[in-house]
Amino acid sequence: MRVARSLIAPVTGVIALLVVWEAAVRIFDIRRFVLLAPSAIVTELFDQPGAYWSNTLVTARHMLIGLTVSLMIALVVGSAMAASRFVEEAAQPVLVVILVTPWVAYMTSIVIWLDFGERPILFLVAFTTFPVFAFGVVGGMRSADPAARELLASVDASRWEVLWRLRLPSALPALFTTGRFAIALALAAAYFAEGSALEPRGLGVIGRRATTDQTGGAEVLWTTIFCTAALGIVGLAIVSIGERLLLRWHASQRT
Amino acid sequence: MSAEVELRGVSKTFGSVEALAPTDLSVPAGEILTVLGPSGCGKTTLLRLIAGLVSATAGTITVDGVDPARARAEKRIGFVPQAPALLPWRTVRANASLLLDLNPGRSPATPSHSVDELLDFVGLADFADARPHELSGGMQQRVGLVRAFALDAPLLLMDEPFAALDEITRTEMRHLLTRLREPHGATVVFVTHSISEATYLSDRVAVLSPRPGRVASIEEVTLGRPRRPELEDSPEFFEVTTRLRRALGIGAHAG
Repeated sequence: MRVARSLIAPVTGVIALLVVWEAAVRIFDIRRFVLLAPSAIVTELFDQPGAYWSNTLVTARHMLIGLTVSLMIALVVGSAMAASRFVEEAAQPVLVVILVTPWVAYMTSIVIWLDFGERPILFLVAFTTFPVFAFGVVGGMRSADPAARELLASVDASRWEVLWRLRLPSALPALFTTGRFAIALALAAAYFAEGSALEPRGLGVIGRRATTDQTGGAEVLWTTIFCTAALGIVGLAIVSIGERLLLRWHASQRT
Repeated sequence: MSAEVELRGVSKTFGSVEALAPTDLSVPAGEILTVLGPSGCGKTTLLRLIAGLVSATAGTITVDGVDPARARAEKRIGFVPQAPALLPWRTVRANASLLLDLNPGRSPATPSHSVDELLDFVGLADFADARPHELSGGMQQRVGLVRAFALDAPLLLMDEPFAALDEITRTEMRHLLTRLREPHGATVVFVTHSISEATYLSDRVAVLSPRPGRVASIEEVTLGRPRRPELEDSPEFFEVTTRLRRALGIGAHAG
């Protein structure tokens, strides 16, 4: 029941958005180059559902692998930052630079370095999202109860035990919160990188090609955007479900 | 099953603040010593020094002839912090066995009482699978006691463990602690600012005076054992509390 309830609210929100959007396009007679009505997108989607489905899966794969790599790197970097103020202060500006630098600025270099194909896509997804997770790991680990830290020290618990038994579980709530931002960022990065890496498959490359297509390009472009958004919603729903299952003990889940 | 604690010329300075003036104190094996004093008089610092959680500015501390850091590494200290410091993601039973699970090579091969037996003793058998947030403050601190006793450590260090509880629960807790320790016989150093707690629990009371913290006097508590709740209504009990109150007054006056 809880899982069903956690899906109803976001779905309602999306339907409301689509209704307002459709009405706006019709009432104000907006030109299709500016904004396409959702009904036109749905028509395009049902014209060739197989193609959109398989490309959505490709993008989902890029996002998932990229985020997994990103989380692994963030756990290592974040643990080091949480363990030492010096490491934290040294790493912070680097992470901020990674977060604020526009991808367009260096995507070409990544493609030249890693060659066309999946690798530059996965790299960009992991590279742009790991600072988000790293900040979550640091904040979460620092939030570990000082009394519990002292208690663990009273039996001389090893660094590894403190990390595994106390710091990581303490970081979980922050990881779920930052996970939501990371998913949104990962989707945008995957979509953009697919277009730049000239991968034959993926929503991003279809969208990129559509921008140069004068006939029906708008429909294709907007449908890839629609699929990307749907993917994001599914991703966020999965995070919510995981949060409810794993954080039953946490105050945020007890409402 | 009980340890001796010896402090010689131990002092602690934080920056320019002298928290504890040079102190000599010896606690014979099997004694319950309470450290009584107002807030900010250095009692917690004294306890943390014995636990090896902070190091002394000058002087030597030994627990059964060894350095506190070594006693800690050998899991010879059962620590009860002021906050229960239960891990919210662990069940009551898992929290009670936390100190056994950590640094497991040093855990007692055959503890005299299992965690379940101890939980039953403190009346929490039915809550073994509950999460800490489902428990009242008094119940949470009972888990904290079980967690320390499960270690079978020869030295128990307690840092105002009942300070956050209401008066009624607090009284019950000192009765429970007395019964819990009887078969065990461990040496206990108990920090408190409650005169009745000090009277009911201790063999001797070290009265601390503040700024810098120093032992103003050591009071013998000449009440027989085993002690039971009725003792608190007796004239002998009243005599000791009066003496402690005076000792505290004199201590504050001299400081």
